[in-house]
Amino acid sequence: MTTVLLLLLLAVGAYLVAVVEDWTVSGRFRLAAPVLAGIALLGRESIVPRKPDRIFFEVAPFLLLVSAILGAAVVPLTPDLIITDMATGALFINAALVYVLVALLMAGWGPDGAYAMIGGWRFLGQLIAYAMLIVMPITAVVMRAESLLTTQVVVSQAGVWNIIYQPLGFILFFIAAMALAFLPPFDLTTSKGELAGGVEAEYTGVRLAVFRLGRLALIITLAAATVIFYLGGWQGPLLPPWAWSTIKILAVTTIMLLAGRYMPRIREADLLAWCWMLGIPLALLNILLVGVLVLVFP
Amino acid sequence: MIAGARQGRPSALRRLVAAAMARDLGTFIIPGPDIARTHGLDIEATGLHRVTSPRHASVLLVIGAIPPSLRESAAVVYAQMARPRVLFVLGTDKLFPLPAADVMADLSQQELIKGVRQLRSAFAEGAFYPEVSDFDAPVLQVRIEYTCPMHPEIVRDEPGSCPICGMNLVLREAQAKAGHLHIDHQEMGASMDMETASTHAHGSHHSIDHGAPVEYTCPMHPEVVQDEPGSCPKCGMDLEPRNAPAESNHEHHHMTHDEPVEYTCPMHPEVVQDEPGSCPKCGMDLVPRDIPAESSHEHHHMAHDEPVEYTCPMHPEVVQHEPGSCPKCGMDLEPRETQNKQSHKHSGMDHNGMDSDMDHSSMDHGDMAFMSMIDVTKDLPRSGDGLPMEWIEAPFGPFFPGLPSGLLLTLTLDGDTVAGSNARSLIENGELLQSSSMDTGSFVERLTSFDPLAPVAYRYLACRVLENVAGMDVSANTANARIGALERERIASHLGWLALFAQQTGFDWLMRRTTSLQLKFQHADLEQIVALKPAILTLTKRLQRTPLLKSRMAGIGLLARDATLRGPVARATGIGDDARSTDKVYTTLGFKTVSRKTGDALARLHVRLDEIIHSLALIEAAGAIELPVPTIIGEVSGTGEAVVETPRGVARLRLTLEMGKVTTAQLDTPSTHHLALINPLIEQQELGDALLAVGSLDLSPWEVRQ
Repeated sequence: MTTVLLLLLLAVGAYLVAVVEDWTVSGRFRLAAPVLAGIALLGRESIVPRKPDRIFFEVAPFLLLVSAILGAAVVPLTPDLIITDMATGALFINAALVYVLVALLMAGWGPDGAYAMIGGWRFLGQLIAYAMLIVMPITAVVMRAESLLTTQVVVSQAGVWNIIYQPLGFILFFIAAMALAFLPPFDLTTSKGELAGGVEAEYTGVRLAVFRLGRLALIITLAAATVIFYLGGWQGPLLPPWAWSTIKILAVTTIMLLAGRYMPRIREADLLAWCWMLGIPLALLNILLVGVLVLVFP
Repeated sequence: MIAGARQGRPSALRRLVAAAMARDLGTFIIPGPDIARTHGLDIEATGLHRVTSPRHASVLLVIGAIPPSLRESAAVVYAQMARPRVLFVLGTDKLFPLPAADVMADLSQQELIKGVRQLRSAFAEGAFYPEVSDFDAPVLQVRIEYTCPMHPEIVRDEPGSCPICGMNLVLREAQAKAGHLHIDHQEMGASMDMETASTHAHGSHHSIDHGAPVEYTCPMHPEVVQDEPGSCPKCGMDLEPRNAPAESNHEHHHMTHDEPVEYTCPMHPEVVQDEPGSCPKCGMDLVPRDIPAESSHEHHHMAHDEPVEYTCPMHPEVVQHEPGSCPKCGMDLEPRETQNKQSHKHSGMDHNGMDSDMDHSSMDHGDMAFMSMIDVTKDLPRSGDGLPMEWIEAPFGPFFPGLPSGLLLTLTLDGDTVAGSNARSLIENGELLQSSSMDTGSFVERLTSFDPLAPVAYRYLACRVLENVAGMDVSANTANARIGALERERIASHLGWLALFAQQTGFDWLMRRTTSLQLKFQHADLEQIVALKPAILTLTKRLQRTPLLKSRMAGIGLLARDATLRGPVARATGIGDDARSTDKVYTTLGFKTVSRKTGDALARLHVRLDEIIHSLALIEAAGAIELPVPTIIGEVSGTGEAVVETPRGVARLRLTLEMGKVTTAQLDTPSTHHLALINPLIEQQELGDALLAVGSLDLSPWEVRQ
């Protein structure tokens, strides 16, 4: 029951994200836009390129969607509203979202097109940049919670949210999450101006619809992860827990979608250099600082 | 019904879907949004939304008359679009090889809006139709040809080996019309439409230099033979391609074709079969190769007096012909006799399509059942980073979202690094004179339409040169007002460049802002321009604070001072080259040259931003804006020259007039020089940087004179 409810919520969330994204792109707030766009996609031909790697081509959009949904499975919206409160939940998110890379590589390789393929490989480079910055801040978060249970992570922030307790970790995680969701300015893999859509370029019709749905679910999952790790999850005054979760997740999503509109796309070389030369030392520092804090203020 | 309807009985559900689709029309713009803006069209305002991949488009929007080569590319784009698809054409009826337009309208915003309304109803009603016909065009025909992976100039109709390096030629598909061919298909070439073979996304066909094998001849005048396509000087017919009877090649063909052909996998040389097919191990298409004659095999045998090879005791797959250590475990390799005759025979054949020559080591590798990555890649060309990869050739253009429309940039990519490039304009804008003698009025109009990205500058240039020939001068007021118009165009053009840059780098805010500003500036009067000044200042300030902008552009597309540079590109390297600085009218208006030192893309951005602000001041000083009107010069004869600083740099026009008619015209344009810069500029650059570097040159393919 919870599972069905949460999947429904995820679908509603994906819809809202689509509305927000349409707003950031078109400047107009149109509730019906995603429905129209969705139906339009379903009504169009779903072309298979002439020399595809058929399995990769077909599976990739679904894998992206499944990977995002798996990640969402350990996100609690309220203390009870969670698909599975796994003992390794905090790390499971990271594990599930590794398949995003696989999905994008497959989507890049599958259609047998140069733009898509370069887009796919670009994401591999991107993974090398962001991967450590997902795991290391999570490490600091679970150090404070002394548990990998995502619900426990939220409970541990009852006094002070992690965004205050470990702001450095928050910044790193937020940036890495945007890179993982290939949102601008990290949209190297689906860039329109450089690759005419990259891995998305060859998908049409139903397959494109699934791909885009997977991407929306991925954004939600990452926004929800940011909320439970750093923004106190369902906690907040007056409003019921589910309302706080919803508000916070939508707020984080909106910021994620908006940020990239005000800057040019990052260079892949810069992304890698900064993540490794700056990001990782900072993430280590963050772990150290949190370690000290945990010892000093247990 | 629309011509590009999707097959299906229009049921109630489908009607509903069609209605939804009509509300969400992804549009691919031909030639591109830059041209749309110069016509004052605001596409997004009509509710059409622009997409960057033809696959995602429902509408192909053709804006204005476009040259035949671009129409061919447009036909390829149309073929790639998923059904249902509509062709929406503004202001032209010359479409071949595109099909007939579904909706036509004139070239104005009102007509566009009206057209979109029509388009929506046509789409809602006709998106599904029980019977649909395929779209076909000569440009979409495909033939099979064979080429050498290392020497793209070697192209044959039949399998064989490369006369230069001896490698087996690999199969690829090309456009049926020789001289134009699609991106290759060897392993990871382009993907194709289901119904039509076409190229990948925007890359429509591109011609490559065929070297010897193809030449062009007139069907009526066989004595007319040339290396390039064109028309017959005698009868004007299009020349047709034919294979050149190059003696040596011929012989080569003969020799190779006496031998039987077999098919093998480029990655798994042990896979050999008599018929084409795909590799059971990796699924790749097998490539044809010749089975060498026995004699060469003998020869090979003799060459190896001691058939000894070295292998690792732990990793039998590691085999090399010299002593050394195992790349896997570091143990010393041990010598052993090469195995049985059978395998040796195998080794005698050249085993895959990747070895560039038949040296001993490559023969020995034929013994192995397994080829490590080191072996597979050892003869591939190395790029600057030393990482061997299979190179692919990918076309960017002529409708690529991050490049000026009409520019075809063919990149040889080594991973995501540019290993080589070929840039050319697909807009054949060569002949300035439509007839051997042209009256001055129509010559001015011809130059006005010469470059849609800078009509005022070329109009001004034409007027100036005529006045120079006639020895006339215009009044100070007129001269000032002309400068007002020139500078207004410069602002609009630089804003257009910013929009392209923003599109390329995904900087949405900037794209929106500059697009709307460009549309406003284009036909603004003096008052409106003064009113827009704060918006420009805010924009430039905002850009200074934009995160990532500096790191994105600094050091990219670095150009040293060079006499071939023109305009803002030159001034970004510190050259004070500006035709305006020697113009009296400009100096009295207070013109100062704007320049930067570093010569990279960032410096070009700054020069253009500074020029926008300086142009605003010049317009205010000029106090009027008026398009140049040709002076009536009467039946003058003589020659004359004039220069103008177009938004892209100085353009120079030399004219000869006879009795008031233009008889010769020579035009030198900035983009012609800049196009030649591209190759060295982007070599060994990462793809994104390379595109940024090309974009930062602000080329206008329309003014390229080839």
